Amino acid sequence: MVEQQIWQYAPVLILLLVALGLIGGMLAASAALGPRGRRPPIKDSAYECGMLPVQPGGGRFAVKFHRVAMLFILFDIAVVFLYPWAVVYREMLAGQAPAVLGGVLVFVGVLLVGYLHAVRKGAFDWRG
Amino acid sequence: MNAILTMPEMAVTALALGLLVLDLWTPADRKGDLGIAAIGGLALILAGSFLFGAGAPQYAFGGMYVLDGMALFFKRLMLGVGVVALAAALEYSKRFAAGTAEYCALILLAVSGMMWAASANHWALLFVSVELMTVTFYVLVSFERTRMPSLEAGVKYLILGALASAFLVYGVALVFGGTGTLGFAGDSGPGLGTGSVLVRVGLALVLAGLGFKIGMVPCQFWAPDVYQGAPAPTAALLAAGSKAAGFALLLRVLLEAAPDWALEMRPVLMLIAGASILYGNLCAIPQRNLKRLLGYSSIAHAGYMLLGIVVLERAGAAAILFYLAGYACAVLAAFLVAALAFDPGEPEEIPALAGLHRRSPYLAAALALSMISLAGIPPLVGFFGKFLLLKGVVLAAFDSRSFGWLAGVALAGIVTSFYYYFGVVRAIYWSAPAAERPPIAVSRVAGAALGACLVGIVAAGVFPSPLLEAARLAAGALRIP
Repeated sequence: MVEQQIWQYAPVLILLLVALGLIGGMLAASAALGPRGRRPPIKDSAYECGMLPVQPGGGRFAVKFHRVAMLFILFDIAVVFLYPWAVVYREMLAGQAPAVLGGVLVFVGVLLVGYLHAVRKGAFDWRG
Repeated sequence: MNAILTMPEMAVTALALGLLVLDLWTPADRKGDLGIAAIGGLALILAGSFLFGAGAPQYAFGGMYVLDGMALFFKRLMLGVGVVALAAALEYSKRFAAGTAEYCALILLAVSGMMWAASANHWALLFVSVELMTVTFYVLVSFERTRMPSLEAGVKYLILGALASAFLVYGVALVFGGTGTLGFAGDSGPGLGTGSVLVRVGLALVLAGLGFKIGMVPCQFWAPDVYQGAPAPTAALLAAGSKAAGFALLLRVLLEAAPDWALEMRPVLMLIAGASILYGNLCAIPQRNLKRLLGYSSIAHAGYMLLGIVVLERAGAAAILFYLAGYACAVLAAFLVAALAFDPGEPEEIPALAGLHRRSPYLAAALALSMISLAGIPPLVGFFGKFLLLKGVVLAAFDSRSFGWLAGVALAGIVTSFYYYFGVVRAIYWSAPAAERPPIAVSRVAGAALGACLVGIVAAGVFPSPLLEAARLAAGALRIP
C-alpha cells in the first residue's frame, strides 16, 4: 500500500525533472550561443526602466518599525485562525455549544492579555 | 469532552497570564511581590494536585490527553521544579534592569508546556507541548540581554532547537503517513507495529527530536554552552524540567506507542546510552565553570536514565521516575547556589568557590550535598536512583550477554564522575581563596527553596520507600502491551 502511495508522487518527480531540464537547458544554451566579449560594469547597472542606486542598501532602521511589524503579524495571524472557527460555528453550535464558544473565548482572551500588555508597555507608542 | 481534567495546566497558564496583567499596574518597586505571588500560586496548584489521586486512566479531547498515574507523577514533579525555579528567579532577577514579572510568567508558561507534555497521548499534542516549552526557553535562555554569553546561548539554543523541532515534526508527519492515525495507544488508536519503512524512519526522527530535549548523544552539543550562558534559574529549569518532560514523552512513545520498534532498536538505544555516559563524564573532567560542568554532567545523567529505557520494562520506567525526582532536587540545589554565590556578571568559575564555607556555610553545605548526590554516594538519593537503574541492566545481563558491557560502561562512568564532583567539593573546603570576600546573605525565599531541595536529597535517600512506591505506582499506569 505504501509503495502505491509513493508512486502517486511520480508526476511531481517528472515535473521536477522537466523544470530542472528546462532551466539547465536555458542556461547552457545562453552560455553556448550568447555573444562573448568584454563586460564593463556599466552593462550590469540598471538600464532604462530602473533607477540608478543612490546609496548602498542595508542602512539603519529605527527598531520601532520592527516592533510594529512583529505585532502586526502576530495579531494578523491570530485573526486568520478565527476564519475556520467562523465557518464551522453554526454547525457545531447544535451539539457542542460550550466547546465552540468557550474555546474561542479563551483564545481571544489570551490575545486580549497580549494586546493589553503591548499597549501598557508602550509598544504602539510611535515616539517612544 | 473531559476538559475539567486539564485543570492543573489551565490554572498554571491562567496564573501566567494573570501575572502579566497585574504587572501592568504594579509600580516598579513592588515587582518582587509579583514573584512571591507566582510562587504562592504555583505552590497552591501543587498542593491541589494531591487532592485527586490517580485512578484508571482518564481521557480528554477525544483521547488526545490522558491523565494517568504517570502523568500525575510528572505534573507534581514539574510543579515542584517550577516553584524552586521561581524562587531562584526572584533572587536572580535583581540583576535584570526590568522584566521580573515577564521572567516569572515565562517560567510558568514553560512549566505548563511540560505538564501538557506529561499528558500527551497524541502526536499533535506532543508537538504542541514541546513547542510551548521550547519557544519559551528561547526567551528564557537569552533573557540577560546585556550579557554576551546569555545571548550566545540563546542563539545556539534557537538554531539547534529549531532543527530538533524540524526533525520532530517531520517524523510525526511520516508516522502519520504510514499509519493514518495521530493517536498513541489505548482509546485513541492502536499501538504501532514495527510498521512500514515510513513509520520506522519517522520514529527515528522523533527519537532525534526528543533526544535534543533530554540531551543524549548525538543531540547533546547545545547542552554545555547553553547551561553555561543561560541565567541560572533558566538553566535549572532546563536541567530539571525540560529533561523530565523529554523523558515523559520518550517513555510514552517508546513503551506505549511503539514497543515493537523500541525492541528492534534496542542495540542502538544501548549504544546511545553508553556513549552519553562516556561523553558526559569524560568531557566534564577538565571543566572549570560550574554551570558548564553541570551541562556535561546532565548529558551523563541522560545516559544513566536511558539505561531504564533500554530494559523496556516497568521496573526500568519506575527507576527513571525515581531518578528524575532525585536528580531534580540535586541539580536545582546546585543551580540555586550558582545563582546566589557569584556576583552579577562574574563567570561561575569553580576556583572562585574557594572559601565559600566561610562566606556562607549553608550554601557551601548545600552545594557539597548536591554534588555528592549527583555522584551517587549513599545514603543520598542519587545513589538509590543509580542503584535501581543499574539493577535493571544487571538483571537483563543474565538473560542476554549484550547487556554486560553496558553495565560495565555505566559503572566506569560513575567512578569517573567522582573525580569532578569531588573537585567542586574540594574547591569549596580545601583550597585557599585568592582574596577575602564578603559573606553572602541568603534571602528567606531562596533559603527555603534550597532547604526543600536538601530535604528531598537526604530524606528520599534515607527513606526511599515513599518515593519508590510513588514511582512504581506511576510506572504501573504505563500501558505496555
